[in-house]
Amino acid sequence: MNLAVRMRGIGKSFGAVRALDEVHLEVEAGTIHALVGENGAGKTTLMRILYGAIHATDGTFEVKGQPAKFRNSAGAIRAGIGMVSQHYSIIPDLSCLDNLMLGAEPGWTIDKRVAEQRATELAQRMGFEFDWSAEASTLSPAGAQKLEILKLLWRKAEIMILDEPTAMLSPADSDALYGSLKQLVADGATVIVVTHRLPEVMQHCRDVTVLRGGKFITAKPVAETNPAELAELIVGHAMPAPSVRSVPDNAEDLLRVVNLTVAGHRGDDAVKSATFALHKGEVVGIAGVDGSGQRELFQALMGTSKLRHGEIILGNWSLHEHSIAERLRMGLRLIPEDRHEEGVIEEWSLELNAALGLQRFPPLAVGTIVNDEARHQAANEMARRFNTKHGGIRQPMSSLSGGNQQRFVAGRALFLTPRLILAFQPARGLDIDATRHVYDGIYEECEKGAGALVVSFDLDELLQFCDRIIVMNGGVVTQPNSRDRAVIGRHMVGVAS
Amino acid sequence: MKIWALLAIAVGLVYGALVVAGAAPADTAQSLIQGSLGSAKALEGTMKHFTPLLIAGVAVFFALRAGLFNIGVEGQFTVGAFVCAVVALRMPGWLGLIVGILAAAVAGALWAYPAGWIKAMRGGHEVISTIMLNNIAGQLSTAAVAGPFKDPNQQGTTTASIDPALMLPAIWQDPRISAALLVAVLFVIGIWRWLGRTVPGYELQAAGANPKAATLAGIDAPKVTIRAMAISGAIGGIAGALQVVAYEGRFFAGFSSGYGFDALGVALLAGSNPLILFPSAALFAILAKGSTTIQVMNGVPKGISFVILGLLIVIFAAIRYRKVPVKES
Repeated sequence: MNLAVRMRGIGKSFGAVRALDEVHLEVEAGTIHALVGENGAGKTTLMRILYGAIHATDGTFEVKGQPAKFRNSAGAIRAGIGMVSQHYSIIPDLSCLDNLMLGAEPGWTIDKRVAEQRATELAQRMGFEFDWSAEASTLSPAGAQKLEILKLLWRKAEIMILDEPTAMLSPADSDALYGSLKQLVADGATVIVVTHRLPEVMQHCRDVTVLRGGKFITAKPVAETNPAELAELIVGHAMPAPSVRSVPDNAEDLLRVVNLTVAGHRGDDAVKSATFALHKGEVVGIAGVDGSGQRELFQALMGTSKLRHGEIILGNWSLHEHSIAERLRMGLRLIPEDRHEEGVIEEWSLELNAALGLQRFPPLAVGTIVNDEARHQAANEMARRFNTKHGGIRQPMSSLSGGNQQRFVAGRALFLTPRLILAFQPARGLDIDATRHVYDGIYEECEKGAGALVVSFDLDELLQFCDRIIVMNGGVVTQPNSRDRAVIGRHMVGVAS
Repeated sequence: MKIWALLAIAVGLVYGALVVAGAAPADTAQSLIQGSLGSAKALEGTMKHFTPLLIAGVAVFFALRAGLFNIGVEGQFTVGAFVCAVVALRMPGWLGLIVGILAAAVAGALWAYPAGWIKAMRGGHEVISTIMLNNIAGQLSTAAVAGPFKDPNQQGTTTASIDPALMLPAIWQDPRISAALLVAVLFVIGIWRWLGRTVPGYELQAAGANPKAATLAGIDAPKVTIRAMAISGAIGGIAGALQVVAYEGRFFAGFSSGYGFDALGVALLAGSNPLILFPSAALFAILAKGSTTIQVMNGVPKGISFVILGLLIVIFAAIRYRKVPVKES
């Protein structure tokens, strides 16, 4: 066996937290290897060690048969290792070519013509096409992902680490991406894909390594396993049967969106004459590639951006005529996309954050006076609801990991009998059990008469948890008449007819 | 780094600064305390600094909680003092004092309002706009007391003086403690309770800490910003007014000896706890009063107190704003 990467007994501690313990990874050269596990299983940490971004506390590793110890990422890059993080490191204001070269410029002076020629050759090898002088902000998520891969090739990487590469892509774009990766592998490269999407593993990868809770669980050829077994290995216990939900067909409308048009930040229409309804008790998922207008739709619903035209009716109220504060009073609750920036005040304690958005409502306030005791209790309850791990509710929010902040924010959104729950990627940073908990919490509120609108870029999540799925593509809302993955996938890229 | 290590560095630096200035540090420290707290007379002098520093400190503190760096307290202090002096001279008696103080609050608020509006509506930074407003306040008030409001019976650029019998009464004699101190203490306690106990106080701090999250929490962040700036200005104006009716009895060119700027240090040292404004303002007041004594007694240049203050603020800032370790996910 010709191993490209061989990691033995890797351990990593962050303070008192043991993030990795005795982890092994063997990746055969010229294959696509899947590294799977839940959020917090240690996948990204392990890859960052391989990439030289952080240092292992214990263990050793070899790259292409040579013992390796990288002082930093530059060392790893020299050894032929490249990594694409989950959050792309593309600078939107620079051109595609500048982004490609950034940090790996050919010399002290740059001959753009020569550089562009080499860039074009690289792209052609992969079957990509780029307008090199265009600003990177014009790229679609799929285009950005392709540019990231070219960045690795530009740096002559032979071992490529891709962290959740399809998180932002439509099913069609994901398939195309794996097509390119297979081509790279055929040319002799080695690819490690960090993912939690089992269908991708089964379909495209040759071997799979499973981590759980920072520990090595198993490694085996994909051909010798199946999705059910993998899921069980990842979670550590048999998956419970999905919650059974029945939504009455004839339930009255809770929310009606009629001919809604919303401006995007470039001045174009980001949401175009959207019309749809949400019934009482229903959980509706909005599928779509990132940037299809989901963000602007939520902003319009929440009241942070003005409508160009159209109506939003919640029960008997014309929602669009009311301020954000009034909408909150009517029972709108948001699980925001960016919890750091929009959901919490990081330097504040959990206790103070518990009241954010609910600060005017009893029992958290009596008239205009803050009720400390009620807020204290509320904070505890919000933290308990989805098992937020924290070091005391007087600790600052910034001391919590992202996943735990998300649990707290979800707990807060469901705290005071919500009427309409707007959840933007509610499962972000959550493991499988916690995701299920949060959706169960949403179901519970829906049974009491609320409704929920969920945006996710993960179609499988929506298929699993939502009663109905609508699709956004280029600001247009369509309503597929089937829950078939392929049908919805076609709606997502706008080729449904 | 541990807090104690930083404190040790602070003490070391202050000690070193005094040695460099050619003084015996122990003696100097003793005269500093003697000169500021050692006698009734010294204490009265320190109080004269402490009161305006405390109220102006509240003004800066309040704006900081709303996410605004109000460098303009100096200007608001000046217009407040000027307006109050003019009103109190026209309306002798206790009614004149009250009307004068209220007028000063309005003047301070109006002086701060443009900075808040520009920040909230146009995104212009309040530091720039308030510095400009400081300059305008300083020059205009000087022109006013050099011209139409000048006391014709005096040489300098000053208004006439209020009859000492008609000034703000003392609440304590020997050392004389003015009622202004009581007002200052009430301000600190009022702000402390308001920020900590009321929904508007909570919303103001949310808007200051994270305007985006505050907006999604139903808070009208721009409105809160404008209002906070105006209130901060009003407090600054009252600080100036009290300085007139409690201590100076008149307004003159160069009225504020930089109280508005020192108040920035007072508020920064207090961090997020308004009650710390008391020791913080006391520290500044003691150094302001005591530095005159050490100049006379120990031959240490007065400027050394600024060096000491500067060092202290830097060190305290390093302690206060140290990072909370964040857990890895």
